[in-house]
Amino acid sequence: MRGSLLRNWTEARTLSIVGMCKNAGKTTVLNRLLAENPPGRVLGLTSIGRDGESVDVVTGTEKPGIFVREGTLIATAKDMLALSDVTMEIVDATGIPTPLGEVVLVRARSAGSVQLAGPSIASQLRTVSGRFFSLGAEQTIIDGALGRKSLGARAVADGVILCTGASYDRRMEKVVRDTANVFRIMNLKKAETVPEGSDLPLSDALKANGEALVAGALTDSQVLPLLKSGALKNTRLVVKDPSKVLLSPDVLDKLAVRNVALETVEAAKTLFITVNPVSAYGWKFDPDAFLAAMAAAVDVPVINVKEGL
Amino acid sequence: MISIGFDDRGKIGLQYVLESLHACSPFGIERVQKLRFYSPAERAALETELGNVERAKNAAGACAAQYEAIMAALCQLKDVRGSLKRLSAEETLDHVELFEIKGFLLRIADLIPLFAEMNETVRAEGIAFHDPEPALDVLDPERTRSRGFYIPDGATEALKRIRAEKKRLEQRLYEAETEPEKNEIRLLRTRVCADEEAEERTVRKAMCEKLRPFVSAMLSDADAAGRLDFLIQKALFAVRYGAVRPGITETALELIDMTNPELVDLLKGKGRAFVPVSIAADRGATVITGANMGGKSVAMKTVALNVLLMHAGFLVCAKQARIPMFSCVKMLFDDAQSMQSGLSGFGSEIVRFNEALEEAEKGYSLFLLDEFARGTNPDEGAVIVQAVTRYLNGVNAISILATHYDGVAAYAKTHYQIVGLRDVDPESIRAELASGTADGPAVIARHMDYGLYRVDGKADCPKDALHICRMLSMKPEILERIETAY
Repeated sequence: MRGSLLRNWTEARTLSIVGMCKNAGKTTVLNRLLAENPPGRVLGLTSIGRDGESVDVVTGTEKPGIFVREGTLIATAKDMLALSDVTMEIVDATGIPTPLGEVVLVRARSAGSVQLAGPSIASQLRTVSGRFFSLGAEQTIIDGALGRKSLGARAVADGVILCTGASYDRRMEKVVRDTANVFRIMNLKKAETVPEGSDLPLSDALKANGEALVAGALTDSQVLPLLKSGALKNTRLVVKDPSKVLLSPDVLDKLAVRNVALETVEAAKTLFITVNPVSAYGWKFDPDAFLAAMAAAVDVPVINVKEGL
Repeated sequence: MISIGFDDRGKIGLQYVLESLHACSPFGIERVQKLRFYSPAERAALETELGNVERAKNAAGACAAQYEAIMAALCQLKDVRGSLKRLSAEETLDHVELFEIKGFLLRIADLIPLFAEMNETVRAEGIAFHDPEPALDVLDPERTRSRGFYIPDGATEALKRIRAEKKRLEQRLYEAETEPEKNEIRLLRTRVCADEEAEERTVRKAMCEKLRPFVSAMLSDADAAGRLDFLIQKALFAVRYGAVRPGITETALELIDMTNPELVDLLKGKGRAFVPVSIAADRGATVITGANMGGKSVAMKTVALNVLLMHAGFLVCAKQARIPMFSCVKMLFDDAQSMQSGLSGFGSEIVRFNEALEEAEKGYSLFLLDEFARGTNPDEGAVIVQAVTRYLNGVNAISILATHYDGVAAYAKTHYQIVGLRDVDPESIRAELASGTADGPAVIARHMDYGLYRVDGKADCPKDALHICRMLSMKPEILERIETAY
């Protein structure tokens, strides 16, 4: 099972690993990919902001370090270099500032553990992954964000791995439902054409063109009156990227029923979902039931980080 | 020492000139931001700089590609002076700092042949770079000259041994099957990593010691890069605005057909052209008179701008220029700030005048007074400006006063008047205005000649105000009475 599920991760040129919560198993997945990567295939590795502490700052649980092979390219803040034990070659300085110093590009001249603290802005992440490719990387992996912020991953990555787990909530149904909702928003259809932006109120733009580009966020309070008035029926709404969709699952369902196409300008593919049935806070889900419930709620492979990897 | 506040820089158009420059390196940008003026004691250095800029301007066409290449190389330079300072203070630099210094040296190495090629034509004096190779050899003993910074295994015997051991343990870690076995190897590896770090620190310390003797050369190269950067920008500025090299005189000031880039560009945007202004003055008071239409202030500001440009080592915006070196440039322009100072406008003007005069009397100075004492009643104002003019005739400075007060010019050593509407036929403009719906004042402004002419002997009353009344079709009965009263 593990071979077949992990086979497609190299397809995305830029891959982002995002989590529903802390202790979802992001780092475990990342280490697994780093270990699976064939020798000689150069990876570029960075993170959105600071991650990869050896002890989780929030929960106090021990977190696995990130272990890279010789030859891996790493983009991290200068102050993090002292916490890494790879033999370093400083390859470039990016000029991107972070609270932990400028982001520098390092080539690991030995295997070893690294601490990641990359850029926190999408455009800077794109710059960094561009530098990785020009330095010979075949794939960039971004240790991505948590929770709602993870929806922004599509702005920089073309492939996403979504990690979820029992730490998100004590109730398994809620974990499954919210994860499925994030998955659903993350995988909104890519808009083939982008409607022209207009200054008209949404309802007028929809009436005039049958479609509209939503500037900024799309919220329940915007959508509900439109649903009631019937203005939305058989129309197309386009948002910039999934992070702009702030709709509850219920409203999303209603849109689907009224034949409203909700699409995004930026699009990435969720390759698979991982689940961690063990919570850092002391409770556990039944692994098989959790896996089955999650798999039933989405249409991509679901893997248990504790066993499937 | 010449020091010009930000407000005055803005008013005379100096800030506009500085913002039109595109210095590429941090060192060049610093030279523009912290603009320095040459003092009379630095006349030889100023002559050198002006010669450099003039030759660089003349070569701008032939060397365009070289300038582009040099600017691209300058853009790559980073400011490593902080690290160099730490290096001089006997500190040991980290990997990233050594990487930055290596990068700096590599870019200086790129710059040297480009500069040499440019300098075959430009022959810039006083800009020179050190050979970066000896310093690079310290940071890159294996002479890979790659962009990156890496302490090679062969740096010391100990490091070679430690890194080999680290590799061996990593291999064992991959091959290990049981968790206790892996943990044991991990523990060994942690120790080896600590040894590696300690040995690398020793290597970095030794590198820093060997690098220390090159610090002053590197600082001097940073400075040379800044000078080169600024030189090219000054040359390109001179090309853009047709600036010329001024002759440096002992006391006399002469600017023929001078222009002000900010106003040139502003008027060009409105489809009009700046009228070049000429003026000559020497020690003592020069008075500019003319109708209240702004021409006087523009002339004064343009004098100030061009004088300061020369003192900063720029060519000046004129057809021809002869400028002395001033130890101080002071200007008092009609200033909105005085309104906020708590004193009345007039009172604060006198306070500023006293301060400026004290400065100006310390050495040969340029002292500019725009509509001095405008804030008081005309009878008293005229008497005050007359007295100031007479006093300034005896001060070791070129003083230029713009005024519309009567009877001041008679006391000045030199008197200039705005050409204004002197050469315009008022009847033809009156006819043009009477026939259409054109905006009268705007049409008159378009016909206004902002040039200066020198008045020798007693000046005629300019009659510009009367011309304006006539052009705008004031009642003939009133016009008649004005004319008889002149």
